[in-house]
Amino acid sequence: MKRSSIVAPLLLIGFGVLFLARNLYPDLALIDYFARYWPTLLILWGVLRLAEIMVWTATDKELPARGISGGEWILIVFLCLIGLSVHTVRGFESWWPKSGITMGGIDMFGESYDYPIAAEKPCAKAPRVIIESFRGNARITGSDATSVKVAGHKTIRSMEQTGADQANQASPFEITGDGNELTIRTNQDRVSGSMRVSSEMEITVPKGATIEAHGRTGDFDITDVTGNVEITSDNAGVRLQNIGGEVKIDLRRSDIVRAIGVRGPFDLKGRGADVELQDMDGQVTISGAYSGVIQLRNLAKPLRYNGQQTDLNIEKIPGQVRMALGDFTADNLVGPVRLNTRSRDVRISGFTNSLELSVERGDVELRPGKLPVAKMDVHSRFGDVEISLPAAARFDLNATTARGETYTDFGAPLHTERSGNGGSIRGSNGGAAITLQTERGKVTVRKASADEKGFQPEVDAPERPEHPETPEHPPAKPVPPKPLQKVDQ
Amino acid sequence: MTPGFLCAIRGPVMLITLGVLLSVDHFGPVGFGRTWPVLLIVFGIFKLLERSSARSS
Repeated sequence: MKRSSIVAPLLLIGFGVLFLARNLYPDLALIDYFARYWPTLLILWGVLRLAEIMVWTATDKELPARGISGGEWILIVFLCLIGLSVHTVRGFESWWPKSGITMGGIDMFGESYDYPIAAEKPCAKAPRVIIESFRGNARITGSDATSVKVAGHKTIRSMEQTGADQANQASPFEITGDGNELTIRTNQDRVSGSMRVSSEMEITVPKGATIEAHGRTGDFDITDVTGNVEITSDNAGVRLQNIGGEVKIDLRRSDIVRAIGVRGPFDLKGRGADVELQDMDGQVTISGAYSGVIQLRNLAKPLRYNGQQTDLNIEKIPGQVRMALGDFTADNLVGPVRLNTRSRDVRISGFTNSLELSVERGDVELRPGKLPVAKMDVHSRFGDVEISLPAAARFDLNATTARGETYTDFGAPLHTERSGNGGSIRGSNGGAAITLQTERGKVTVRKASADEKGFQPEVDAPERPEHPETPEHPPAKPVPPKPLQKVDQ
Repeated sequence: MTPGFLCAIRGPVMLITLGVLLSVDHFGPVGFGRTWPVLLIVFGIFKLLERSSARSS
């Protein structure tokens, strides 16, 4: 009998698990993981084969002529091509000398040389400040001065001092332009070859400034500016605090976007991981793919969120919203609220006006809390639907399940009807129309108990990655969650 | 080590090396563009080992 390898069945199992995970959690950023970790597959494959051959040798079995067959090599080549292209498309840097793991200040491949940068230029009270594309971090702070001031340092990685010196001269730091429009230029692009230049900048601008920043890789921290802020970057963490104007952010990758206290409209586009917004006075528009945790707190104007699997519109969020993988929790919302999502467990408490909810797969739990009870139209394909209504609520309820149990402890005017595998709970005392529908799952209508609390989205989840680059600039402390609100009785 | 054994583990070891180099490219300090000669070196070492083991047996 021909001895066959265990790699092929393992590969099949692996793919099965991946596709299953993808089906259960459509939000899972599988492609991102693949783009990052695909070389591990090669290593695993090799290790498995090697172990197999070791076992065969130890048990004195006949060895194959080649450890990896021709067909397998072809598969491997395909895997490499796909992996490399996904890696490049997803905006990870590649084919480029990296910033390096430093060991006691000395890099494995060359050393880091630091050069100070400092410049100052007087300007008008409300200038437009443009930061040209660069690598490195920038911290921008508004002040009362009428000048743009930059302090910081430039890091050049090179094998020897002379090369670094030349690179330093080739990339002079400059502020150009007149008092109304200034350009901060690092000229990093003039350095070619294997040397890598990055800049750390502390920029002080007049309070009224408008900022337009372009980055390649690196973080932006912007504080106390009353003008507009526009950021585009290939890979950046963005932290904004106390911005007076309009904010526009367009990122190809980011680990975190945090904004606290923005007066104007806020527009975020692209891809990223975590998003945290708090105390926003303007309309908030978020579109793109975000694989991390999204937290929204105290939004005064409408929110429009347009994600890969989720659309969300909320008129106003005096409370908070937290969205993580497979989960949506919100408390204290002003409607109309519209949520359309593929696969999430949805829990919403304390909402008004109207709620329109459509879930493909996931349980729904609603605690309207406030009176009068909002108009609701809830549809889940696979999942339980539960609502707890205050005893004094007025409603016209129609809750149905095509297949599953029904349960109510509300009493009159509700009554239960069973039909086939499913059933319905109906009843009206002349209030807002509440339609709950599930194709498969349990439907529950409860009477809210006197001490029932709203859902408290766990803010500041532990999984949020802390940012090591800016330890001396701690993020503004999030406002503690509002006290739990009791259900009106 | 028999020549057959060396021949058999050559493929897997090359594959592991390739995986490590590409991982270093994605996470580490140097790109694959700089480290690819390691593959040649590993392959050369195998050829050397095969020669010497064939001669001794």
